[in-house]
Amino acid sequence: MTEKSILNLQYEKYKLGNGLEVILYQDNSLPSIAVNIWYRVGSANEVKSKTGFAHLFEHMMFQGSENIPKEGHFRYIQEAGGNLNGSTSIDRTNYYETLPSNYLELALWLESDRMGFMLPGLTQEKLDNQKDVVMNERRQRYENQPYGLSWEILFSNLFPEGHPYSWPTIGWMEDIAKFELDDVRNFFKTYYVPNNATLVVGGNFETASTKDLVEKYFGGIQAGNSIPEIVVEKQTLNESKKVVHKDNVQLPRIYLAWHTDKAFSADDAVLDILSEVLSSGKSSRFYKSLVIEKQIAQDVSSFQYSARLAGSFIVASTAKPGVELDTIKEVIFERIHDLIQNGIKEEELLRSKNSVISSFVYSLQKLDTITDQMNHYNFYLGEPNSFSSDLARYESVTGEEVISTAKKYLLNPFVELHIIPNTKEND
Amino acid sequence: MIDRSSAPLAAKKALFQIPQTEKFSLENGIEVYFTHKNNLPIVYLSAVTSAGSKFDSPDKVGTAYLTSLLIDEGAGEFNSLQLSNEFEKLGSMFHVSANQDNIGFSLLTLAENFERSLYLLGSVLTKPRFEQPDFDREKKKVQDKLLQLKDESGYIASSVFEKLVFRNTYYEFPEIGLAETVNQISNEDVKNFYRNGFSGNATKFFIAGNLDPEELRKTLNAQIGSWVSSSASELAFNYPQRSQTQYYIVDKKESAQSEIRIGHISKKRNVPDFYATRIMNSILGGQFSSRINLNLREDKGFTYGAGSNFNYYANAGLFEVQTAVNLQSTAAAVKEIFKELNGIRSGITEKEIEFAKSYLIKQYPSRFETFSQIAKNVESLVIHSLPLDELKVYEEKLYSVTYEEVRQSALENIFPDEMFVVICGEKENVAKQLKDELGVDAIELTHEGNLITM
Repeated sequence: MTEKSILNLQYEKYKLGNGLEVILYQDNSLPSIAVNIWYRVGSANEVKSKTGFAHLFEHMMFQGSENIPKEGHFRYIQEAGGNLNGSTSIDRTNYYETLPSNYLELALWLESDRMGFMLPGLTQEKLDNQKDVVMNERRQRYENQPYGLSWEILFSNLFPEGHPYSWPTIGWMEDIAKFELDDVRNFFKTYYVPNNATLVVGGNFETASTKDLVEKYFGGIQAGNSIPEIVVEKQTLNESKKVVHKDNVQLPRIYLAWHTDKAFSADDAVLDILSEVLSSGKSSRFYKSLVIEKQIAQDVSSFQYSARLAGSFIVASTAKPGVELDTIKEVIFERIHDLIQNGIKEEELLRSKNSVISSFVYSLQKLDTITDQMNHYNFYLGEPNSFSSDLARYESVTGEEVISTAKKYLLNPFVELHIIPNTKEND
Repeated sequence: MIDRSSAPLAAKKALFQIPQTEKFSLENGIEVYFTHKNNLPIVYLSAVTSAGSKFDSPDKVGTAYLTSLLIDEGAGEFNSLQLSNEFEKLGSMFHVSANQDNIGFSLLTLAENFERSLYLLGSVLTKPRFEQPDFDREKKKVQDKLLQLKDESGYIASSVFEKLVFRNTYYEFPEIGLAETVNQISNEDVKNFYRNGFSGNATKFFIAGNLDPEELRKTLNAQIGSWVSSSASELAFNYPQRSQTQYYIVDKKESAQSEIRIGHISKKRNVPDFYATRIMNSILGGQFSSRINLNLREDKGFTYGAGSNFNYYANAGLFEVQTAVNLQSTAAAVKEIFKELNGIRSGITEKEIEFAKSYLIKQYPSRFETFSQIAKNVESLVIHSLPLDELKVYEEKLYSVTYEEVRQSALENIFPDEMFVVICGEKENVAKQLKDELGVDAIELTHEGNLITM
């Protein structure tokens, strides 16, 4: 297959004197460049009662810095015909922009100004405004969404109190309301330092002059102290837990969550394939049984959610009107046991693998996806060009491994969450 | 130390060529628009059939949508599960969707699997099975989905708003249908809908990929070249009039936010002031640094985001402002939106216009990055009866819009005294805010947009 060579991306990686990692990936087929920075800080670096800070901080990074006015970041990049954003996960925060290639220097100026000179631009007024915006983000994306709180309920039950994965990335509402300017300053000085970041520049550029520009804008930024390590113990559940939560929903939904293993661990890709076999497409095990044959569920999904410190396997299914969630749970376990006892067919494995292989090739269409993925691989594996070896993890999965992995995790204690309608006459 | 106080200047602009699209016809007259793209071994294909929900009979709204769900539930020699299995084995992503105007089929596949995928797509288009058990299951799924949509404030606000704007036209209904109309639909209705709406000349193909055009023509002729064409049907559209601004509330208990929609009917896509309007809306609410978003989000903190847009249907246009705000700020947000709607008519600076033009023109090449973007750019022109040349003159047309034309566009396309205002949220609280802060009485509507009768 031709994808082998397509997935081998040429790049150059080096470090500046202040510890900033730089990765250059050249692709001159489009007149664009992508600049993508990962800071190795996410909600897992927060502490209890100060949750949501990494995410709130991401908002503050668009509020200007010493030489950039409030909203200036957006205005400069949009005027140049670019698009931009940032996102926060439990492990990291990223900032990225794609621009016409002749605006590379603009992007480096903007990113370096907030990496090196963010605090002089900080005011109480900006913080108050963004706290309001984030509280509205929390309302819009979680509280006012049907089933919107299920994720945080699940994770605060799967992980013990105080575990860095036990709170939601956006944070608890009461914590967001309490943040102060000093919190912002300390967080910035601790984590937003060049030695805790990786800059990927991708697209249409000339290597030597780009290296000069990177040095010009980032080279003078002072390194910070070494970054506090997060230490956690591997989690297991001694017994299953059941949580029932009432919500403004018409149809009840069940979630099941097991502890598994972390990103890029030996079982990680096998668990991805397992989720494909169980719930991807109409012929998958759960879907076929619950939605097509028995018609007791409106939908079903499952996935391995893996991160740097831990992983979990989640199953979710919405009941048809009048169907008990316990009935759905029974069928889910019946299908899991069937898979463990009777094995899987070669065709199921082939189907799952082929969709993974194709999705790798499809993902190469967009420069911002590629540069973000290079940062992703660099963060977890230390090697930005891991497209081929990542794909190989999936291609090598055998039917026996799928079965033994299902057995290893899905027969263990789990967290069970029921989201049920809070009133019968809800119109 | 380097000087950081001002933005670095742009370097020399890299060249960009809009990819060349060629149009050809198959033996049965089907139009194909093909754009060659060879940086990856991928093909994207979109087939669009003029059979959207506007063709539904009013007592059976939802028929087109159900047809779109059922058309790939088994076709030719494959039953429902076998068919989806065949696509998945190839790693091809196949999806059918319906809107008011069309049913669309999209296919993303590796080039090596294109021919086989096309064979499957051909079966879906020309030999759907429409078996009764599949119909029963999918219809029940739609009925339960309609139940679930009662939970979604955003959906409720939008569908009620569209019903008001498009009242008494075929665009007033959501494509998924309504509980009482979906109940009326039989498998026979779906089969009839397919028979009347689906034929060769009602369908157009838009393809981007690493293919030889001659080979492509042969393959397409072999798979769908014998699909029969019939005389296309067109429906008359009575353009609704705007009317005096009116406020409506749809009650949703325990809402953490209020979903707000404000707007009115507007012009179709293919009018001369399209480009001026694009620039004007970009300033008003079309992107992050727009007046509406900067005011409601970055100044007031009422919302996570707010914006405005012009939506284009085949036979009409719709202007809307949309946002979700915290309950206590509902009336204040409405007031600020009207301030911006009036403000855009009373003045736009040259600096704002230059910013918007720069933004729209310079980002244009980034709209040709993926295979699907390229095919869909062509598709949207054809759907709105515009010439292919439009892609090549886009930048030039934006560039040549004058300041006066942008200001004129605000006067001719935004009518603050003739808005429908729809708010979905906590009724009592919102009604009181509207009364106290804006002095208006709102009319309460059901989730389906009907008057509440005592």
